[in-house]
Amino acid sequence: MKTIQLLGEIIEISNSNLEINSRMQAILNIISHRMEFEEVLVFKLDKDKRLTCSYANEKSRLYPIVNKYRCHIGEGVIGTVAQKRVPQYFNHNDIPPRFGCIFFNELDDVMYNYRSFAFIPVSDDSFLYGVLVVISRSMEGIKDNDKILLAIIAREIGGLLKTNDLLINSKKRISELVTLSELGKILTTNLEPQTILKNTVFTIAKALNAVFASINIDWPIPKMECHRFVYGNLNGSLAEIVEDCEKQAIQQKKTITYEYYNDNNDLQVKKIYSLYSSPILTKNKAIGVLTIGFLKPGKNFYQNEDMLYITTTITNYIANGLENILLSTKLKEVIKELNETQKRVIEQEKFKSLGEMMANIAHEIKNPLVVIGGFTKRLAKKVNLSQTENRYANIIVSEVARLESILNDVLNYVKEPPPILDECNINACIEDILYLFTSDGSWEGIKITKDLDPSLPLILCDVQQMKQVFINMILNSFEAMNGKGEITIQTKNIADDENHPQIMISISDTGGGIDPTIIENIFNPFFTTKEKGTGLGLAISNKIVKNIGGRIEIENIVGKGVTFKIYLPVNKNKNNGEV
Amino acid sequence: MKNKKILIVDDEENIRILFKEELEDEGYAVDLASNGFEAIEKVKNNSYDLVVLDIKIPGIDGIQTLNEIKKINTNQPVILCSAYGEFRQDFSSWASDAYVVKSADTKELKQTIAKILTQNG
Repeated sequence: MKTIQLLGEIIEISNSNLEINSRMQAILNIISHRMEFEEVLVFKLDKDKRLTCSYANEKSRLYPIVNKYRCHIGEGVIGTVAQKRVPQYFNHNDIPPRFGCIFFNELDDVMYNYRSFAFIPVSDDSFLYGVLVVISRSMEGIKDNDKILLAIIAREIGGLLKTNDLLINSKKRISELVTLSELGKILTTNLEPQTILKNTVFTIAKALNAVFASINIDWPIPKMECHRFVYGNLNGSLAEIVEDCEKQAIQQKKTITYEYYNDNNDLQVKKIYSLYSSPILTKNKAIGVLTIGFLKPGKNFYQNEDMLYITTTITNYIANGLENILLSTKLKEVIKELNETQKRVIEQEKFKSLGEMMANIAHEIKNPLVVIGGFTKRLAKKVNLSQTENRYANIIVSEVARLESILNDVLNYVKEPPPILDECNINACIEDILYLFTSDGSWEGIKITKDLDPSLPLILCDVQQMKQVFINMILNSFEAMNGKGEITIQTKNIADDENHPQIMISISDTGGGIDPTIIENIFNPFFTTKEKGTGLGLAISNKIVKNIGGRIEIENIVGKGVTFKIYLPVNKNKNNGEV
Repeated sequence: MKNKKILIVDDEENIRILFKEELEDEGYAVDLASNGFEAIEKVKNNSYDLVVLDIKIPGIDGIQTLNEIKKINTNQPVILCSAYGEFRQDFSSWASDAYVVKSADTKELKQTIAKILTQNG
C-alpha cells in the first residue's frame, strides 16, 4: 500500500506542470524521505555524452562533491551503469573508492559515512537519459523490494527527462521557426535595404535574447552610407573583437564562436560574452557577416552547439533574402538610371540637335547684341563725346563684336561638324532609332510597322546625321498623330537605274496629312506649325540629305496622312556587299 | 545711290530703328515692316529699290514672304538678313540676291546694299 502511494505521488509530481528542476527535486525528496535514503542523485547524460550530476534531494551532502566532474560513459561505476544499462548495488565493503572515478577525490573523506549504494540506469526502451544514485547511511544492503521500486521510479524519471528533452527541443524549434518566419516577413518587405537590415538585426537580437546583433554588409548598395547595422550595445573593445570575429568568419567561410571576457573598468563588472559570427554567403561569396552576442550566463536556453547551428541557419536564411534585396535594389537603380538616360536622350532628340538649340539661342541673343552694339556706335558718332566717354563707347562696341564672334564660333562648331562619311547600314540605323522610341511610354498608342528590305546596300553617309534625319521625320509623324495611330517605315533597294542606283526610305503616318496651303513651306528654316517648334528640323534634314546627293519627296493625302520618301544614292564604286 | 527706297522687314523694333537710322545716314529712304504680311502689302503698294528681309519673322516666314514678293515683282531685289548663318549658302536657291548675317557692325549690310543697288542701276 505504501509503495503504491509512493509511486502515485511520484507520477502525480512528474505529470504536474511545475518546472523540471522543481519536479525532479520533489521526486528525489520523496525517495529520500519515504525510502530513507540520505542521498538521491541523478546524473544526467548530456548532449556531449557525459554524465553530470544535475539533480539531487534537498538535504544531499554529496551533490556539491560529485557535481564538479562530468563522467564519461564507461568511466567508474556511474559510467559503467550508463554503458551497460544494468543496475549495480554495493555496500560499504565492496564499493570502489571514489565510485571508481579518480576525479571524485573529495569522496574519500565522506565514504565511511555510508553503508549501501544503488546505481540504476535511467532509461526507457531505447534511450539512456542518465543514472539514478541512491545511498543510505543506515541500511545494510538494498532490499529486493526497494530494488524493484527504484527500477520503476528510474523509469518514471527517464520518462520525465525524455518529455523535458522533447519539450526543450520543440521550444527551440518553435523559437527557430518563429525567428525565421519573422525574418522571412522582414526580408520580403518592399522597404529600403537599410530599413530591412535594421529590422533584421532587431528581430534576431529579440528572438534569441542576445545583447546585440550586428550585420556588416560588404556589398555595394546604392545610396547606402553605412554598412554596419546593429541592434544593442556594440562599442569600445567589444566592437574591435567583433570585427576580428567577422574577419575570421569570412576567411573560414563558416560560423565561428568566441568567448570574450570584458573587464569593464567603469562599472567594475566582469562580463563574459559569447560571440557567434557567421558569414552571409551567396554563391560561396561573403556579402556580409552576422554577429550575435550573448552575455553569460544568458537568459536563453540554447547551448553552444545549438547557437552555432541557429546562427548558421539564420545566416543561410537571410543570405537568400538579402541577395534578392540587394540585387533588386541594384536593378531598381539601374532601371531608374536607364529611364533617366532614355528620357534625357529623347529630350535631346526632341530638340532635334544641339546645333538647333544653339542656333535658336544664338538667334535670341544676337538680336539684342546687334541693337546694343549698333546703337552704341551711333551714340559715339552722333554725340560729341569726351575722350573718356568715347573710350567707354568703343569698349562696348568691341566687347559686342567679341560676343558676336564667340557666338558665330560656337554656332560653327556645334552646327556644322564635318560630316563623318562611312558605309552605313540604314536598316540597322532605323532599328536603333525605333528601339529608342518604342521603349518610351508615350509611344504606347502608336503602332509601328516595319518593312525593311534585307537587300539594302550600304550607303555612304554620316550615320549620326542620317539618324537625325530619321528622328526628325518619325517625331514629326508622332506629333501629328496625338499619341494614337500607325507609323509605317519601309526601306527599298531601287536598283533599276544602273547609272543612278539608289535606295528609298519611306516614313508614313496616319496623322491626317498636311494643310496643302503650307506644304511648300515645310522645308523652310524657322517654318513651324508647332507651338514649341524651332522650324529647323525639316530644313536641316533636307540639307543633310541634299549634301550626300539625295532628295526628300512628300506624298500628302489630306485627311489621311503623310509619307516622306527619302532617296539616297548608292555609291557604286565603294559598295558591293548587301546588308 | 541717293533717294533709293529700301524696305526693312524685321520683327524686332530696335533692329528696325537701328537699320533705318543707319541706312538713312547713308542717304537712303527707309520704310519698315514688322512681319511678312505687312511687307507683302507694302511691296504691292509701293516701289522699293531693295527689300531687306529677316528670315525668322512671325506669321508667314521669311522664305514664304520672299516667294510672295517675287510673285509680285520677279525683279525685286531682296537681301535676306538673319542672325543665323546656317543657311547663307542656300540663299540663291531661295531666289534672294544676297544673304547677310545680322551684326552690330552694319558695314557688311551697307556694302551689300550698295553693291546690289549698283548692279541694278
